[in-house]
Amino acid sequence: MPEMTPVQTLLIAIIQIVLVIAFVFVVVPLTIFAERKVLGFVQQRLGSTRIAGKLRGITGLQNRFMWGMGRFPIIHYFRGLPGLVGDIVKLFIKEDIRPAKADRFVYLIAPCVSMIAAMLVYAMIGFYPGTLFTIPSFIPLIGGLPVGGTIADVNVGLLMLLGIASVGVYGIVLGAWASNSKYPLLGGLRSAAQMVSYEVPLTISMLTPVILAGSLNFNEMTRVTATGLSPWGVIPLFIGFFAYITCGFAESNRLPFDMPEAENELVAGYHTEYSGMRFGLFYLAEYINMSIVAALASAFFFGGPWLLPFGLQRFIPETAFWIGQPHWYIFAVKIVFFLFVYIWVRGSWPRYRYDQIMDVAWKYLIPMTLVNLVLAGIVRYFA
Amino acid sequence: MFKTQVMEINMGPQHPSTHGVLRLKLGLDGENVKSCYPIIGYLHRGVEKICENKAFFQGQVWTDRMDYCSAVSNNLGWAEALEKLFGIRVPRRARYLRTMLNELNRLNSHLVWLGTHAMDIGALSVFLYTWRDREKILDVFEAFCGSRLTTTAMRIGGLQEDVPEGFEKMVRDAFESVRIGIQEYETLLSENRIWLKRTVGIAKLSADDCLAYGVTGPILRAAGVAYDIRKAHPYAAYDEMKFEIPTRTEADTYARYLVRLEEMRQSIHIVEQCLEGLPEGPVMAKIPKTLKSEVGEVYHPTEAPKGEIGFYVVSEKGGVNPYRFHIRTPGFLNVQAIPLMLQDALVADVVTAVGTLDVVLGEIDR
Repeated sequence: MPEMTPVQTLLIAIIQIVLVIAFVFVVVPLTIFAERKVLGFVQQRLGSTRIAGKLRGITGLQNRFMWGMGRFPIIHYFRGLPGLVGDIVKLFIKEDIRPAKADRFVYLIAPCVSMIAAMLVYAMIGFYPGTLFTIPSFIPLIGGLPVGGTIADVNVGLLMLLGIASVGVYGIVLGAWASNSKYPLLGGLRSAAQMVSYEVPLTISMLTPVILAGSLNFNEMTRVTATGLSPWGVIPLFIGFFAYITCGFAESNRLPFDMPEAENELVAGYHTEYSGMRFGLFYLAEYINMSIVAALASAFFFGGPWLLPFGLQRFIPETAFWIGQPHWYIFAVKIVFFLFVYIWVRGSWPRYRYDQIMDVAWKYLIPMTLVNLVLAGIVRYFA
Repeated sequence: MFKTQVMEINMGPQHPSTHGVLRLKLGLDGENVKSCYPIIGYLHRGVEKICENKAFFQGQVWTDRMDYCSAVSNNLGWAEALEKLFGIRVPRRARYLRTMLNELNRLNSHLVWLGTHAMDIGALSVFLYTWRDREKILDVFEAFCGSRLTTTAMRIGGLQEDVPEGFEKMVRDAFESVRIGIQEYETLLSENRIWLKRTVGIAKLSADDCLAYGVTGPILRAAGVAYDIRKAHPYAAYDEMKFEIPTRTEADTYARYLVRLEEMRQSIHIVEQCLEGLPEGPVMAKIPKTLKSEVGEVYHPTEAPKGEIGFYVVSEKGGVNPYRFHIRTPGFLNVQAIPLMLQDALVADVVTAVGTLDVVLGEIDR
């Protein structure tokens, strides 16, 4: 393969970015829909079947369309899906209200900070093993070049990922402070303390697979955790996973750790004063963060993105149909599973109190992950 | 240059978890609640004054709308107070049916309480589950009097109508699902670590404080005082029923939760006794077309799901409406205890305290 010129690299990257953004904007609404449906299932109700609005006009047309979908057997279940389009349109055309005494500039950029931090992490996630597709040769300048499954295959992927992910808290804190309102302020204070606290055990727990694999490189790490792991390595890996998923819930502000926006205490927490698409950006960022936590959980603890978890891969011959070779759909199944766990937990558990959340982080998770790190070191030394 | 300052924040009147339009003026030091001052009156409709200006029998619809989660209890207290005033003896069958409806209503009210309380603490699903079971009880009300919430179930002297056909089966079917429901709530909450952390030792109110503030109902019983008007001053057919008064001594939110769950079981037990021993006969006493009062004064307390509800009626000679009509609602006295419950509390405990008191602003402001 010839060396690519900077222009070519840039163009390829832009294609990848567009694909990733398209992917995100398809997956996030589907997650929201899945949340509605799964919560509906948990709570013995239908989930979303129609949208709010008048019987006339656009909302009326859409409701009639969704009503019509209800007549067909399987489509019947998905008749809330067009409602998502309505939701997004509503977010876009809704009046964007800014509190009179808000700090204008910070108030406007805060949702963007959250969103950008969430989206940037996708640059490091490998969606597809190897080459996604090759650009047809009749296209000028970049014809015949491969488009990889990862935008940025960085050597220190883990470090960069954690660094960018931790920027997300700024969006929340800044938005809360700039709103110049008391409920958002409380939400912002909570999120600052919570997210900073949980970053520590999150990072330490992610070091477990790094130590076990002896490498910061994603590919090497996934290869080792999927196939080359000693049987004893499963124990620290599992404890690490438990700590990681707990912290992941806290980092993406989901029940039982949804302190920053605890609905029943702080109305809507940090985004109380936001409306329209600015609120929409916070909302999207939350769901993107969820999928990132899910993707990383499968990448680090569940045998890498494209392979089977729990070291099962070594028992499967490489020629096996569907599961023998690395494939994107194994990744997809894992992500869907973790997202389901998110929604499941939301449907079943109450919310912690603020000080109890801090207790969980500092008194239980941090000591646990530290001990686990030592354990991983011992396993690595003797294995 | 820097000084610390207590942040004043208004929780309510528009807030997701103040159960209506309760307003709490909180003084916050970070997350710690330094002061709490409940402000009521946003739902004031002047029920007492309206009742004074209406004929005796017209007051009932207003009692429906006080505590809209337990309309039957209000109706019962109202009807019995006026019956006491006029010296009317209610037929035995009517007393049994009243007891039954009252206990069904207690179930309904406690289900609403559990759902909203659990949702305040963050357990979303319990809310929907209790609503599912409550629906069955509301169906029973609907079969009886055509209305689900504002039942207007009683009449002075008995009941408007006898129960419809198939009523017993309907009630038993409803209990089938409520029994399973209570089991479900217990599995979801009783030993849930987060639920325990959020409720055990939170919003304590000792028995002495309860008595000093006039706090009644499950809150008093959770503090160890076995005071239940159904046993202490039996009314309707409660003297013929066998039931227990559940009490706890912890006086915290979790104890109240357990007390109320047990009360729901006792309610089912009472209704089943009523169904088994339901006597035959009329459901309405013979009373004159228009009620003309003598000079009199009566106070009649009954045990509503939220505590003691008392109707105080003063009448003049030849009057067709009460001279003075006063209602002692449980929520009005219970809500005073919020500041006391919130010593050394955090913001999240405010919501717990409001939830555990089971406030309904309709009866507090009336």
